[in-house]
Amino acid sequence: MRRGLHPKPGVLVATAVLLALLMPLLARSNYLLHILVMTEIYVILALSLNLVMGYAGLLSLAPPAFFGIGAYASALLSLRVGLSFWVGLASAGAAGLLFAVAIGVPSLRLSRHSFVIVTLSFTLLAQIVATNWTELTRGAMGLPGIPAVELGGVKITSKTGWYYLMLVLVIVTVAGFKALVGSRLGRAIVMVREDEVLAQAVGLNTASVKLWAFAISGLLGGIAGSCYAHYISFIDPSLFDFYYTENLLIMVILGGAGTVWGVVAGAVIFNAIPELLRIHPELRTLLYGLVLLGAISVAPGGLAGWIKAWRESKRPSVEAEGA
Amino acid sequence: MLLQHVINGLVQGSLYALVAVGLTLVYGVLEVVNFAHGELYMLAAFALYLLFHLAHLPYPLAILLTVSVLMGVGYVLARAAVVPHLQRPFEVTVLATLAASIILQNGARFVFTATPRKVHPPWEDVVLQLLDLTLTGQRLLVLGTAIVAFAALHLFIHRSRAGKAMRACAQNKAACRMVGISTDRVACHTLALGAGLCGLAGAMVAPLYDIFPGIGTSVVFKSFAVVIMGGLGNVPGAMAAGAILGVGESLAGGYISNTAKDALSFSLMILILLLRPEGLFGRRVRV
Repeated sequence: MRRGLHPKPGVLVATAVLLALLMPLLARSNYLLHILVMTEIYVILALSLNLVMGYAGLLSLAPPAFFGIGAYASALLSLRVGLSFWVGLASAGAAGLLFAVAIGVPSLRLSRHSFVIVTLSFTLLAQIVATNWTELTRGAMGLPGIPAVELGGVKITSKTGWYYLMLVLVIVTVAGFKALVGSRLGRAIVMVREDEVLAQAVGLNTASVKLWAFAISGLLGGIAGSCYAHYISFIDPSLFDFYYTENLLIMVILGGAGTVWGVVAGAVIFNAIPELLRIHPELRTLLYGLVLLGAISVAPGGLAGWIKAWRESKRPSVEAEGA
Repeated sequence: MLLQHVINGLVQGSLYALVAVGLTLVYGVLEVVNFAHGELYMLAAFALYLLFHLAHLPYPLAILLTVSVLMGVGYVLARAAVVPHLQRPFEVTVLATLAASIILQNGARFVFTATPRKVHPPWEDVVLQLLDLTLTGQRLLVLGTAIVAFAALHLFIHRSRAGKAMRACAQNKAACRMVGISTDRVACHTLALGAGLCGLAGAMVAPLYDIFPGIGTSVVFKSFAVVIMGGLGNVPGAMAAGAILGVGESLAGGYISNTAKDALSFSLMILILLLRPEGLFGRRVRV
């Protein structure tokens, strides 16, 4: 299918990376750079949701929980214990992974419905704990003054520095994600989504496959949270707001759940547009709700689905391929 | 003191049960988790605020009107977000009801602003003293109405034509369509019924607390725990689990701490999922 297209995937990826490298030269204002850094964080988060929702077919409403837990873990370790960002980043990822396993083991046992309910409840609980456990988190006052990242003795404080740091992380994440979904585990995850009974029949331990997908998504969420905490240098319990879940769902669904580049594009587009349009925050949430409702009714396959349908309409004889 | 905590817990538990029964009923009949359910409670509270506090209608009339309004909202919700997606994968209805929840909550924030409002319930001043037990009229009303509502619900589901259609739909949708029961219509009835119960809860319990657009979230958080504890789709299970959670929270809040109270519902939910995934009452009993 790819052979017939004019731009080869490798060329497309190279162009995208080159464009991303040159972005700070195009975006001259700090405000635009800030949006770019936030977009990079969102790409990682959207991929984390994509793995459970798009690939494993498990709707998780917990991404903000892992994001927030990662942010708090990393911030507390550097503020209270004095550990560096890199240790914080690793611990945040580990915290996300551990919580995902702890939540996943009981909730993945019964039905996909109870999984959705437990993930939502977990996010709400995380917010309650972050708000009420004031001795640890300072509650609604939040944690200010989270130290900047140090790399080889140099403190990264400029937005451009953050942009490139995050770009490296995003490229590593996307590459790792591509490798994962192409691996044995990745194919097993897709098979569980497509037909769980069949997957069991051919000898897959579907419970552990689902748990892996959820755990890795927790890991990615924790990492994104740690980056956010050190980039913004202030966190509070609003990190767990449902607003973020909604944002991520729109990015993943409209980008194309179960695809890598579609979701990356979704994260970029749906982070940039509302920022640039400068819509009133409350109205924005409302509008996003309408977009979400419209999207699932009209375009369940998202952007990637449209492009795929368009490609297939041009080359009707070729069968569709996965991921 | 212990008895007082238990009574307070039962009042709170009837709120959880009223909200959770609607949720579990919708799941039992349609296999749809209505994530906008908490928003129905919030709308009921605001409807009561408008009808009783601003329009000065008599309280019982305001309750009745609130319940009717909410049944209408439930019907519209079913038509807009549930019925069009009944034949599609389950994520679609989850997302559709989530979107509806966001729209309703932020719409309310836009119209009513985030300022908390207060309704003074007429029977809150009536204080009953029984030995060392204190109970206000409003709380007694909540408890009594919940019991009456559950009895009525039981009769409706088992005796009425519409209720029988719901039970049939819970058992086998394809067979329902074959004998001429419109599953779309049943879906609308079920959501309207669940919303009506939520309306009842909102009209009676919301006046005990502040009313603001975010109140649905905490209520639905507890209701999810209740629904899982009672077994997804199990109506009597949700009633019992609601009472258990209410009493448990009241005891935890009274004897341990408020944080323990908040964490209790989630811990119980996880515990039940680990030990008895089908809910407290074992074998799956539907509707």
